[in-house]
Amino acid sequence: MQHNEPVSILRFFTHHFDAVKDLYDYQIANQSIPHHVFLDVIDRHKSDVGQRFFDYKILRLSGEEYVFRKEFFDLLQYLYQTFRPVLPETIDKYNQVFGDLFRQIIQGLSLDRDILEARIMEIMSQAGECISHVERNTFRLLTESRELKANAEKMDYRSKLQKATFWIDYYIVPLNRILDVNNPSSVAFTLSEISEFANRYRLNFADEGIRRQFEKLYVFLMEVHNNLIKHSRTLTNELLPLIERIRTESAILSGWIHFLKNPFRMETPTMIKEQTYQVYASDMYYQTKEFFEQFETSDEMIIEDDEQDVEKWIYHKNMYRDKLLSQLPIENFFEWAATEINAEFGITQTDKLFTLAGLLFEENLQIEFTGKTSTIETSQASYTVPNVKIESYGISQ
Amino acid sequence: MEYPNNHKAIVQDLMRGKFILSSEKEFDTIKTNEVFYRNFFSESFGMDFHLSSEYACLVSSQTHETLSRTICIFFAILCYELDKDGKNFMDCLQYNEFEMEEIDTYFENTSYIDLVRATRQLEDAEKRRMLIDTMRRRNIVERTGNDRFVFTPAYKVFTGFAMDLSRRQTNGKEHMVAES
Repeated sequence: MQHNEPVSILRFFTHHFDAVKDLYDYQIANQSIPHHVFLDVIDRHKSDVGQRFFDYKILRLSGEEYVFRKEFFDLLQYLYQTFRPVLPETIDKYNQVFGDLFRQIIQGLSLDRDILEARIMEIMSQAGECISHVERNTFRLLTESRELKANAEKMDYRSKLQKATFWIDYYIVPLNRILDVNNPSSVAFTLSEISEFANRYRLNFADEGIRRQFEKLYVFLMEVHNNLIKHSRTLTNELLPLIERIRTESAILSGWIHFLKNPFRMETPTMIKEQTYQVYASDMYYQTKEFFEQFETSDEMIIEDDEQDVEKWIYHKNMYRDKLLSQLPIENFFEWAATEINAEFGITQTDKLFTLAGLLFEENLQIEFTGKTSTIETSQASYTVPNVKIESYGISQ
Repeated sequence: MEYPNNHKAIVQDLMRGKFILSSEKEFDTIKTNEVFYRNFFSESFGMDFHLSSEYACLVSSQTHETLSRTICIFFAILCYELDKDGKNFMDCLQYNEFEMEEIDTYFENTSYIDLVRATRQLEDAEKRRMLIDTMRRRNIVERTGNDRFVFTPAYKVFTGFAMDLSRRQTNGKEHMVAES
């Protein structure tokens, strides 16, 4: 492995950037670059410098395929702003790091100055990485949310709802917790404690070099603090409402589309029926008075039944049945029934005619419908009835 | 016994199935006397009294199911079509003024046209105007002109229903009306 001048590496990177970009895009989409893809890309760009990617430590072997080394991958991510959001758990790990370093600084204030200085610088370095992750996450989450809002991937409402819920539950809400300076277990809270400590010792420490380091740390952490507040505001005021809105919209539309699949079988909101009675009618007082007054009557009342005696007809079914059987065969049942009623009462009454029609349902009557009709006049109306012929009684031989 | 201010108007409106909105003077009385009205409607009529920050209404087992279903279909199709049209339907429901002609265009060109035709109160422009008028009587819409209207916050009863439906669907707890 030869040592290369940084400028040679950068020049190579610049001259062959198209090939670099293609390889980077491929890795973003597929995690790693197979050998044949690498050769294709190099060939496509008419480059005969494939080996240089390894000499300059741009690519490395991962299993049987290639990947960019982290430093170059980070640079390309930065150049294209194509960061994958880091899980908030990863950012939260910094809290432990800051806590440990802070404890060690407090305990080692009167010990070796070099290690104290190194720890102060390490806090700055870790805080720089941490804020960088936060910045990338906020940027990426905003991009994702805006794309989701525009529905660039043409997702259905249910998928949109799921994705919005995913971003909120796993990224935005936990990140907001990490950035909450009022939460004692947050990264922001720990950094503000360190900042206060640095503020105290930047003015009050025997070693001038260490005082300067505390001064730098304080200024840097103030900047970090302001940045964290800025990102927290972006999350609270812009990102969370935006993605909450996408979630609500998608939930409503998803619900409606589900409803429209079977609108007549779903339970719907209760809407009371319009009440037709007036609870507060203008004459309610008098109506109520009248209602109660009827129960106040105490005089004895005699109710006389003024109903006139009406001759009641008792239907002797057996008598008419016997008459019917004795006159078989009958050509037209209804004509026979009308004649019988007329002969007995001097008038053909409808109710009696239909009562007699019940005889047709007697068992074992051999009935035949001729398909013709005839008209029967009763005292109330004129009826068109089918001609029903009764041949005989009993099972025909 | 002393009754709250506007008691008669409050009872009459709610019993007619109207939503009383936070912009109406009766709403303040209701809010101040929430416990009284809850008990009053429960004891007198066996109805539940619902009060949110934006409206008050009555809930009863004696529901006007057809109207509720028709209004749900109306909102479902309108939201779907507004979204398809690239509009932010939640903003539209909250802030926009609608013209009947615009509603007719959405309902005549929707892919749910079979459902529109099968729903008596939505099937044509005239019936839709009648439905809007029914919704006006219930304070779900407010007329702003001859053929123009805006939705009142009462529309949230229906969008809330859709959200609830989506949640129940996710949890696998759908409520279907039993087949007769």
